[in-house]
Amino acid sequence: MSFAMAIVENALKMAEEKNLKRIESITVKIGELLLINPEQLKFCYQAASSGTMLEGTELKIEFERAEISCVSCGKKFKTPIYLCDSCGGFVSVQGGKNFVLKKIEARNGI
Amino acid sequence: MHKIEIEAEIDLIAENKRLAEENRKFLKEKGIKAINIMGAIGSGKTLLIEKTLDALGKEIKFGVILGDVVCKADHERIKKYDVKVEPINTGKECHLDAHLVNHVIDVFDDVDLILIENVGNLVCPVDFDLGENYRVTMVSVTEGDDVVGKHPEIFRLSDVIIINKISLAEAVEANIEKMIQDAKKINGRAIVMKMDLKTGEGFEDWINFVRNLVE
Repeated sequence: MSFAMAIVENALKMAEEKNLKRIESITVKIGELLLINPEQLKFCYQAASSGTMLEGTELKIEFERAEISCVSCGKKFKTPIYLCDSCGGFVSVQGGKNFVLKKIEARNGI
Repeated sequence: MHKIEIEAEIDLIAENKRLAEENRKFLKEKGIKAINIMGAIGSGKTLLIEKTLDALGKEIKFGVILGDVVCKADHERIKKYDVKVEPINTGKECHLDAHLVNHVIDVFDDVDLILIENVGNLVCPVDFDLGENYRVTMVSVTEGDDVVGKHPEIFRLSDVIIINKISLAEAVEANIEKMIQDAKKINGRAIVMKMDLKTGEGFEDWINFVRNLVE
């Protein structure tokens, strides 16, 4: 819920700054290693945006992939692991923890 | 009416990062260490704090932050001790964040070590840096021996992993070695401790860890 509220607060602030009249969608990018369930985020967004100019707008979700690879042999992994299962080297995990309000789509004018 | 796209690129967790850094700066300036104790409901977090205060209360000046949805019960337990304690009722939220800790941290300007009990949850607390020096995650064998494998992210980012209630392992058919191996697979740098807070088994390892932190 706190993530949904952060989206709403920041989007409303930007809408005011840019004098946006009618917002159609908000796009966020979430790191795949953050423990956010996209369906739950959409549900919470509906609740958090209720009664604001964002009510009824679409929340679009993109994912930021994490780079998980062995520092010795370069083997890539889909999920974090401490040691490489091929060569025993350390596996580094980069990214995948960001949460960014990327884009606002709106209609302006008459 | 025409359609426009605004490229926002706003970091939505920037505020938490900023306040965590503020907390970290406060701790560093005052020479205080802080431990964020995470774990499921009933894993033994509050008892760990009580036993730590019992064992080291005379040699280390502790502060305690208790986070819970309603933390009256834990507050009653800890306020019997001669330590500064600040309860944080999170209300709707399932985790502490840097902002909530920032509200109370000034109270602890003269302590050596702050023990922060996070809300009972193996998921959400992971994503919120509090500005702490060490992250400890506590699990009990009664949660099932697959609990570590099911929640890799919290264990990946922990400095210490405590497996509690080991005297009950046989009764609940939990394989302690599997839990240790799962923990090491995801995070080989963490210190893994087997413990039973009721019998005291393994508790000495924790006491030595805490003592070393403040020396």
